[in-house]
Amino acid sequence: MLKIEDLHARVDDKDILKGLSLEVNPGEVHAIMGPNGSGKSTLGHVLAGRDGYEATAGSVSFEGKDLLDMDTEERAHAGIFLAFQYPVEIPGVSNMEFLKAAVDTTREAQGLEALDTVNFMKLAREASQAVDLDASFLKRGVNEGFSGGEKKRNELLQMMLLEPKLCIMDETDSGLDIDALQVVANGVNAMRGAERAFVLVTHYQRLLDFIEPDFVHVLSGGRIVRSGDKSLALELEDKGYGWLEDVA
Amino acid sequence: MSQEQIDKAITREYSAGFTTMIESETFPPGLSEDVVRALSAKKNEPEWMLEWRLEAFRIWSEMADPDWAHVNYPPVNFQEISYYSSPKSMEEKRPKSLDEVDPELLETYEKLGIPLHEQAALAGVAVDVVFDSVSVATTFREKLAEAGVLFCSISEAVQEYPELIRKYLGTVVPRKDNFYAALNSAVFSDGSFVYIPKGVRCPMELSTYFRINEANTGQFERTLIVADEGSHVSYLEGCTAPMRDENQLHAAVVELVALDNAEIKYSTVQNWYPGDDEGKGGIYNFVTKRGLAHTNAKISWTQVETGSAITWKYPSCILRGDNSVGEFYSVALTNNMQQADTGTKMIHLGKNTRSTIISKGISAGKSSNAYRGLVRMGPRAEGARNYTQCDSLLIGDKCAAHTFPYIESKNPSAVVEHEATTSKVSEDQLYLCLQRGLDEEKAVSMIVNGFCKEVFKELPMEFAVEAGKLLEVSLEGSVG
Amino acid sequence: MSEFINGLLVAADAPAWLANHRDAGSARWRDSQKPTRKTEAWKYTSLHLLERDFAAPGPVEPGTDALPDFGGLKLVFVDGQLQGDLSALALPEGVQLVQFADADAAQAEQIAARLGSVVDADKHLFANLNDANLSDGLFLQVAANVRLESPLHLVYQTSEREPAFTVNQRLLVVLGEHAEANVIEHFLGASPAAFTNGITELVLGAGSRLRHRRLQVESGGAMHIGGVHAELGRDSHLDSFHLALGSELKRVDIVVNHAGPGAHCDLNGIYLLRGSEHVDYHTCIEHAVPHCTTDEVFRGIMGDSSSAVFNGRIHIHPDAQKTRAELSNKNLLTSTDAEINTKPELEIYADDVQCAHGATVAQLDEGMLHYLRTRGVDRAEAEVMLSYGFINELVDALENEAMRDYLHPLLAERLTRDTRLTRHLV
Repeated sequence: MLKIEDLHARVDDKDILKGLSLEVNPGEVHAIMGPNGSGKSTLGHVLAGRDGYEATAGSVSFEGKDLLDMDTEERAHAGIFLAFQYPVEIPGVSNMEFLKAAVDTTREAQGLEALDTVNFMKLAREASQAVDLDASFLKRGVNEGFSGGEKKRNELLQMMLLEPKLCIMDETDSGLDIDALQVVANGVNAMRGAERAFVLVTHYQRLLDFIEPDFVHVLSGGRIVRSGDKSLALELEDKGYGWLEDVA
Repeated sequence: MSQEQIDKAITREYSAGFTTMIESETFPPGLSEDVVRALSAKKNEPEWMLEWRLEAFRIWSEMADPDWAHVNYPPVNFQEISYYSSPKSMEEKRPKSLDEVDPELLETYEKLGIPLHEQAALAGVAVDVVFDSVSVATTFREKLAEAGVLFCSISEAVQEYPELIRKYLGTVVPRKDNFYAALNSAVFSDGSFVYIPKGVRCPMELSTYFRINEANTGQFERTLIVADEGSHVSYLEGCTAPMRDENQLHAAVVELVALDNAEIKYSTVQNWYPGDDEGKGGIYNFVTKRGLAHTNAKISWTQVETGSAITWKYPSCILRGDNSVGEFYSVALTNNMQQADTGTKMIHLGKNTRSTIISKGISAGKSSNAYRGLVRMGPRAEGARNYTQCDSLLIGDKCAAHTFPYIESKNPSAVVEHEATTSKVSEDQLYLCLQRGLDEEKAVSMIVNGFCKEVFKELPMEFAVEAGKLLEVSLEGSVG
Repeated sequence: MSEFINGLLVAADAPAWLANHRDAGSARWRDSQKPTRKTEAWKYTSLHLLERDFAAPGPVEPGTDALPDFGGLKLVFVDGQLQGDLSALALPEGVQLVQFADADAAQAEQIAARLGSVVDADKHLFANLNDANLSDGLFLQVAANVRLESPLHLVYQTSEREPAFTVNQRLLVVLGEHAEANVIEHFLGASPAAFTNGITELVLGAGSRLRHRRLQVESGGAMHIGGVHAELGRDSHLDSFHLALGSELKRVDIVVNHAGPGAHCDLNGIYLLRGSEHVDYHTCIEHAVPHCTTDEVFRGIMGDSSSAVFNGRIHIHPDAQKTRAELSNKNLLTSTDAEINTKPELEIYADDVQCAHGATVAQLDEGMLHYLRTRGVDRAEAEVMLSYGFINELVDALENEAMRDYLHPLLAERLTRDTRLTRHLV
């Protein structure tokens, strides 16, 4: 599904990714761990297509297509979803307007029939219930005045409505208390399936207690320096990231 | 703060207020074409210079005194001012070296803290000193010449580097730019000229010290700094005048030209006599300062303004070249009856031009302090950015603080951000300082210094210390 | 006297008791000069469209346009003439609503005593013209402790006809102590021959509350120079919202005088321009007494080759200690030919105050754009959505749902004519 080969990327003239390779197949859950500054978040933004995140070498293909050649919204239409670490607030545009615009354009691009407003609102309300957000949040400005946890749940809500193929979750666990983490994890677990893959970017092993990964990768100095199964995460929890310096 | 505390703090001493007893040759008051001719003749100027002045005089004669600034003063009678005054010793025989300069003059500068003998001078600072209408001395000329840097009085430059003067004079501030620029163009007496050749980083700080001494004399200095491609220069300017009951006019013009990739840093500590606490006397400081930045060039203005009865001054940048940068850092302190209307203009013409404006206004006593600024984004200024921050601090309830920022944008990709705040030295802040054992004056001066920190850090080291002290003196008695 | 001065004066019948106002206004107007670009208050707004002969509006046909319903009473004026009869209205006890021309002697006395009392005639040229051309107006008075809860919706339409004519609109609102009212001024029309000069005076008694909305949705060739002049008594509260869609010439002066301690003013506004339209808002908040507060927010979007002006002045007088006043003006240019000139001004003569202003001319936030695009919304639609959100934030703060519903499609339609890009907004 996703094939990253020897990816180099820079942000603000600074090389961050320095030869990262990773392959993700449908149905898999990959956890990417690493110390601050290792390039974890950069990877998510390069995949989602953020301006200023420039791939300088290597390749990324998504379902056989050159991902780096696609616009941000084309990537979204192709089925890539990035759950942001810090979702932005958009005052004046209601969450409902925003969600409808996202779902409509994505379905349109995918050649699916548009949802009528009544059905859409029903779906949106169901999704908000599933992520434990009061329906009144749908009427408020996008993320406007939401708490950290509410923003993360709103990301999950969008993910549920857009039904992406590849979900990249950028430190979705950061700043969440155990209850909120449980809600997010339940949402993710409910969406797991044979056709959908997840890349969980996280600093802490804690998230992986709730969402069991198939693979764990350690990112350091812009490259994956070790890969393993979930036991690697426990090992990291034990030893911290200090030992990485020797490997990298 | 109690009123008593405020009054105590506002009472200030002007330590540069002495008069030098020296014989001067001074033109009788009055302004006419003949005066312009006489002045030009006195300086033995070439014909083209005289013509240039006469044209300026004609332009000025048809202009009206500007009235838009937020200042009030009785009309200036331009016929009561003398347009040229020079120490006799300078008239008789221009000194070839410092040893030949009248000891009275040297002593004046010693008293002002500006030793002119190179061995005693501040290391790394070359000084041109202007006394009334003439340049008295320029230090370190030989050392600068080794680097190819030209630094002399503008009168000498007219004689020795006429091609440079003719090429650049009046190109940044045209004669018809405004009333006082036109007046200056007609009657400018002296000032400094700097030329930094291509790729040269000026080996030392350059500095000019202006002193008005003679009564009823206007000072009309002219400064021209040209930084050729890829060069770099830092220039400092200081000013003082004796305490006199009459108002004196100072109408200077400063032009900066930064060619491609050049950088000019221009710092001013202005401490002209501000008048007494009833508003009697003091300098009218009506100054036009402007820089033109070519591609990738940078012009940075830093000013600390504590003096003058009236200040009317807007050091500006025309960011003509792509990627050029303009900066304006200002502290303006007014006390007693002082009035200041000062600020800057950032004219963004080129692509990706950047400007930063940090203005700190402090009003005390019965003074009035206005920031007036213009940020203009031209149609071609794609990707241009401006950030402006104007903060006012009021000390006492009889003073005034104003902000008049004009923002004009014609480019959708340009970004302008302007913020302004007003605050006072709060009782809580003072209380904390007093409780920690500081006396009132020290506390206020500390708070004011903190308020100005962002600007002070832009000043060259020697000046930053002086500026801090100056602020302290200017605030004396204003605080509680 | 210049053509300009002469051309804007019209003859009309007026009640005799208005003669003093008319004469005084006329004398001041005749003594004035046409403002030029050198006149500071008119630096960025040209009045060349007014350089022709204007007539008084003749007899009118009732308007046929469908009008929105904001709840409460709705009065419709066409070319300045009221359609229908005020005497038929059922008004609560303590509420007087009368046209100047119909005022009885007692009412005339009340009107004459207040009229013009909160307008600084020296500073507002067109208020003098309004006085000079004064033949009628509307007077709303709410007695002490009376609440007029439902909105009074005043619709001002201009008709399409020649030759050029001027509509002289005047509204005087007087609230007694602790009275409450809700007034909506709603201007419509697109006639290039119609020049509206609309002066509104709001006098708020101690402890009173006024919710005021001025929607200037005139478009096309419409010309409007208006003034809103408010005086806030002790502890009174003015909530004033303004909206201007661009037209050929639109200028509104808003003056709020804090005259009693403890008064509060919320002043918000939106301007939205396209084509070669022009809007000029001049606001001036006078803090003359202590302990008053002001919150002011204006936002604008300029497209095509339009130009807008915002001049927001906050003036703190020497005795106005403990004032808190904040002003924010944000602008968005969406075209390479559009232009904004903004000047937030502070003039402060008291030290124990908290004053701040900010002004920006900026682009859409790249972070927000990116966020929308990662959700599949294409760049063009994302830009429209964000522009819409930028101004809609102020509309969504309005309490009147019917008004929000009325404004939403207007805003969207103004941002782009491409309905694909606004389909999720309306």
